[in-house]
Amino acid sequence: MATQKVEKTKLDRIRSLAKAPMDDYYVPGHRTCAGCGPAINYRMVAKAAGKDTIFVGPTGCMYVANTSYLCVPWAVPWIHAQITNGGGIGSGISAAYEARIRKGKYHGTFPNVIVMAGDGGSADIGLQSLSGAMYRNHDLLFIAYDNEAYANTGIQVSPTTPYGARTTFTPPGPVVPEGKKLWPKDLAKLVVGGHPSVKYVATASIGYPIDLMNKVRKALNVEGAAFMHIHAPCPKGWGFPANKTIEIARLAVQTGMWTMWEFENGEYKLNIEPKKLKPVSQYLEVQDRFNHLTTEHKAKIQNFVNQKLATLGIKVPVEAVTA
Amino acid sequence: MGTKKFLTGLGATATAVKMADVDVITSFPIRPYTGVMMILSQMVANGELDAEFVHADGEHAQLSICHGASAAGARTFTGSSGVGVTYAFETYSPISGGRCPVQMLIADRTLDPPGDFGSEHTDALGCRDQGWIMGWAETPQEVFDNTLIYYRIGEDPRVRLPQFNCHDGYFVSHIPGEVAIPEQSQVDEFLPPYQPVHPLDPQNPVGHGPQIFPDQGPALEAMRHNAMMAAMPVIEEAIDDFGRIFGRKYVPFVEEFMTDDADFAFFINGAHAHTARYAIKHLREKGVKVGLVKIRFIRPWPTDALQENLSKFKAVGVIETNSSFGVARGGGILTAEVCASLYDAAQKPLIASFMGGLGGEPITLNEFFFIAEKLNKIAESGKIEKPVYWLGFEE
Repeated sequence: MATQKVEKTKLDRIRSLAKAPMDDYYVPGHRTCAGCGPAINYRMVAKAAGKDTIFVGPTGCMYVANTSYLCVPWAVPWIHAQITNGGGIGSGISAAYEARIRKGKYHGTFPNVIVMAGDGGSADIGLQSLSGAMYRNHDLLFIAYDNEAYANTGIQVSPTTPYGARTTFTPPGPVVPEGKKLWPKDLAKLVVGGHPSVKYVATASIGYPIDLMNKVRKALNVEGAAFMHIHAPCPKGWGFPANKTIEIARLAVQTGMWTMWEFENGEYKLNIEPKKLKPVSQYLEVQDRFNHLTTEHKAKIQNFVNQKLATLGIKVPVEAVTA
Repeated sequence: MGTKKFLTGLGATATAVKMADVDVITSFPIRPYTGVMMILSQMVANGELDAEFVHADGEHAQLSICHGASAAGARTFTGSSGVGVTYAFETYSPISGGRCPVQMLIADRTLDPPGDFGSEHTDALGCRDQGWIMGWAETPQEVFDNTLIYYRIGEDPRVRLPQFNCHDGYFVSHIPGEVAIPEQSQVDEFLPPYQPVHPLDPQNPVGHGPQIFPDQGPALEAMRHNAMMAAMPVIEEAIDDFGRIFGRKYVPFVEEFMTDDADFAFFINGAHAHTARYAIKHLREKGVKVGLVKIRFIRPWPTDALQENLSKFKAVGVIETNSSFGVARGGGILTAEVCASLYDAAQKPLIASFMGGLGGEPITLNEFFFIAEKLNKIAESGKIEKPVYWLGFEE
């Protein structure tokens, strides 16, 4: 949309955790669960983006648990969006700054506009709004923080919920032994595949904070639309202890259940390519949501993961699955 | 001073939007409002208007983008018709609750089914309770003027509410009429640049729309109600100021036509007032004591002004170009509100509803004569035979 270049501070690469900014713009005082993956994600994203940022928060956990009694835990501007229209609200903020700066109605730098949507607000009911913002190439970063369910409303299935997961809308039973029967949408691929103007797309995980924060910075330094899909485990929804969030996040990457890549200048780049993958059963067996699965179900998931990895060019040996 | 042009309602809207120096415009095609976006996109392409012209992915997105842009301090414009208006329904309350003075043109279109391009007011009236200023224009001139007046009212720091700037599809949107185009300096005097109160700006962080718990609900809803009520005196001020600067003097809320010594009146909003005026001139020549009452704002609803205006008649016929199936009294949306307005009045007229112009059919002169005949009978007899007449289906 930009017809005139607007001044914007470029963000530097963060070399290590010790050298990450001390300042936080997502601050304590909210009501997220102990060990909440999306809250950890929010803190890292806000830290990486810095103070010249405006967040858009579609309805989801990061709306409901963060903003109670008219309070917000952001030290930067934030606006609620409906679960349907994060991309639209973000587009409008970006368009407003384009126009107001160009017309001399605003004197300041072009802000980082970040839409922080859950998997429902991005892959499901918010998909059209996301796609519209990417297609029109507004200067903004759309982040899907993925806890693989509608968690705020009580853990209902979403398009990114893995096959075989128990949710309150996919309970396993004698007729439906596996719980969720469908394979998840690959949102990041959907964005790359259908939106030629988007220059930067990345997946990330809260288990790898330096990688995550630097991807946020890269995405914000791009002029135009950028997208990130961030894996953010949910202790309550997935059924694991609150002190295991980061461990579970890393295990997802180590088993190939989550992959870490960037799409930049028309090319895919793998960021974390394990030398040897752990079997998916190691990931499945430490979460209550998968505890009803049979060996056959787990084998189907392993097969799905192997195929997904092959499309990304990952061909590393997987340890034998032990029943 | 200024020029005169023949413009359609859509042309008049686009000209006013340009002179209002709007920053962000969002489009999506649906008849009949679409033409305004064709004109505005050409103005942007020609460099006559400096605005971000955003091709939204549907009406819901049009309103969402305007919400974000308005929250970030931009003056915004959008529009729609018919099912496009209802498709965006979710967004209306968050925009008014966020106190974002977005302006939306509604060029009325009948809702589906069946697919029909004709004007009917149900699309806009269905959104009447969402906290938006709302009213109808009768002519392209009134459309032009309302566009500026609505921004002025909605952006007033005492109000800060979005506006549905409505006019009938085709009858107003597509039929040209003479429009006096003022000087830019007059517009600038009447409508200074938008000064947002709490914009999304990293230089002064604020949060828009956090969750509340039920105990905070009453206060917040009262604030939105108070803002709508505060619009009443602001409308009067704006209309006064408009008359002073542009030389066209409107009545703020309730316009009367040939009501001196009238026994009964047509009560109407929108384009059909035009035909009603002709009908009244004819009837007056025959000695029928009939007048017209045209309501200019549906929200805020001018209860006091209506009591004053309508109390003097023996009978009032509410012309309903909308449907509200199962509504109180079985008429349309306006009848229920007119009756409620008069409930406390010491003296009140008898009221009948006339369902007309549905699906966008014109209300003909003969139909207005029919309405007059029924109202005359009510006025003379002091009795209502039927509370609701469906024009074209009656003996």
